[in-house]
Amino acid sequence: MHRINGLIKTAITIGIALVIGIIAILLTSSEPGNSIKQFFIGPFSNTYFFGNMIAASIPLMLTGLAASLAFSASAFNLGLEGQLYFGALVGTFLAVKMSGFPAILAIVISIFASALAGGIIAGISGWLKAKWEVNELISSLLISYTLVYVVDYFLEGPFNDPEAGMAASPYMNSNFMLPKILSPSDLHAGVFIAIAVIIFFYFIYKKSTVGYEMVITGRNRKFSNYSGIPVKKVIILSMCLSGSLAGLAGIIDNLGIYGRMIRGYSTGYGWNGIAVALIARNHPLLVIPAALLFAFLESGANVASLMSDITPEVARIIQSVIFYLITAEGLVSFIGKKRREGIKT
Amino acid sequence: MIGDFLHTTIAMMTPILWAALGGLFTQLGGMLNIGLEGMMLVSAFSSLYTAANTGSLLLGILVGISSSMLLAAIMGYVSLNLKANVFVVGLATNLFASGITVFLSSNLCGTKGTLYFQNAPELSEIKIPGIENIPILGDLLSGYDILDYLVFLAVIICFIIIFKTPYGFHLRSVGKNYRASVSVGISVYKQRFGSFLISGFFAGIGGAALSLPIKTFVGGMTNGRGWIALVAVILGRGNPVGVLMASIIFGAASALSNLFQATTDISPKLLLTVPFLVTLAIMIFYSVKRKKVNAQ
Repeated sequence: MHRINGLIKTAITIGIALVIGIIAILLTSSEPGNSIKQFFIGPFSNTYFFGNMIAASIPLMLTGLAASLAFSASAFNLGLEGQLYFGALVGTFLAVKMSGFPAILAIVISIFASALAGGIIAGISGWLKAKWEVNELISSLLISYTLVYVVDYFLEGPFNDPEAGMAASPYMNSNFMLPKILSPSDLHAGVFIAIAVIIFFYFIYKKSTVGYEMVITGRNRKFSNYSGIPVKKVIILSMCLSGSLAGLAGIIDNLGIYGRMIRGYSTGYGWNGIAVALIARNHPLLVIPAALLFAFLESGANVASLMSDITPEVARIIQSVIFYLITAEGLVSFIGKKRREGIKT
Repeated sequence: MIGDFLHTTIAMMTPILWAALGGLFTQLGGMLNIGLEGMMLVSAFSSLYTAANTGSLLLGILVGISSSMLLAAIMGYVSLNLKANVFVVGLATNLFASGITVFLSSNLCGTKGTLYFQNAPELSEIKIPGIENIPILGDLLSGYDILDYLVFLAVIICFIIIFKTPYGFHLRSVGKNYRASVSVGISVYKQRFGSFLISGFFAGIGGAALSLPIKTFVGGMTNGRGWIALVAVILGRGNPVGVLMASIIFGAASALSNLFQATTDISPKLLLTVPFLVTLAIMIFYSVKRKKVNAQ
């Protein structure tokens, strides 16, 4: 029953958000019919758009998982963006420097280094929380802001490719790129990595002691303390894991699509990951459809802006409406009341 | 040099302090208002756009305040009436603000980049006769725009509202213990909704104080100031004077960053991290101290 209500609420939320998006298109487009059609059908109209949509969902799956992992332990990791960006820098740097290495080894090292870097950054906030009760929401966010500048500094200066003509790193050895699986689109084998990681964490979450401790800590910190769960360790660990998933999300585009790191390539993956986690109600497997939904909104708006005359920021407006309503308990009680009344009559 | 530094400190402090005064009211009502950043951003755009198109600064500021308050009302409605998580609603507000401002900027002005309104009315600097020529003191006290001066008046007014009026007393009681407040007949809903509107009011002025003096709007120009304001609220411990002190420190951190940019070769990108690092360090320092006090 609870779950059904959740689903109905999610559906209503998405419905309302789409209606607002359509209104925004109606108000601003000179050919609203075509814009709306492109928005909804565009991403499915050919392999190029379709593959790019799936490709765009890959980092969102990982940041969505990162956010849901932290949230389910009641650790508010708002620094995903910085963890992702910094992790990507570390991984890309190593990939560029390891150009003589065997491809598999280089890829594995690069991925793990990114995850480690992101994990350490988030772990600092977790440690500060556990040790001194520093609000992790604010500390992770401030560190994230700082890191974005630091990474930009490297991309513009010491780690810049002078030939690039923009703030971007040198290219890595092209052998290190993850194989493309739906040319001519950007879709790459990273999608399998993302899904495998999600399934792995689903089992950790459901079957392992650590997963259990995280969930219980998230539900009731005091109770967990009394029942002998090492709450502080759990908080640090969940921040670390969350950050390392963000780091992984950061490197995956560089290995899969760009072959280098470009300043500002993350179009809010961190923030949207939070929304993805909320739509999925912190359930690891549901992160996949939630990420696909967000990628669809993004791609639909992009295609519509290419094929018609809307601004792609329409997607941002729809996404924020989803954000607004997704945790609204009032929507559920409203539905619940209606249903109970229905039974009475 | 010292004079310049002090002057920049106050000028940098102003938008943060305005927003922080707003956040103070929601904080007193028992909620952490994450949406300050978004409210500032919306007002930064709408106030400048209006001022440039009507030629009236006052109208610009009023529209900025209204748009920010509208956003605050949405926050209040969704979090209080629809009972959504107030953190998430705050994040939504920020995301919405960053989307809608770029959306409007591209639909109304035809660009997503930097908007510079050459013909926008000037938010002129007010020179105080007699004082402006005194070294250091002149820099410290004279030559700010009206929003910089008014913020100090606002601190005093907030102090009076919070500590000397029944409204302030009720709001504080809701934040401290809302069950007890309900039992003596205070409407938690009204208090909290009101505090959202007030926070929208002040954050709106903060946003206007950001864009009007430079006649420029860029997407995301608040650049974390709403969050820094939030930390100022926490450090201020429910007192406008405390919030003022914290905001001065953050203003000084920004001024320091500017000073280094002018006088050293350190990369400007790295210097931009200074305000965030200082904020973080103070936040940690504050938490450590609080924990030690609580332990005693």
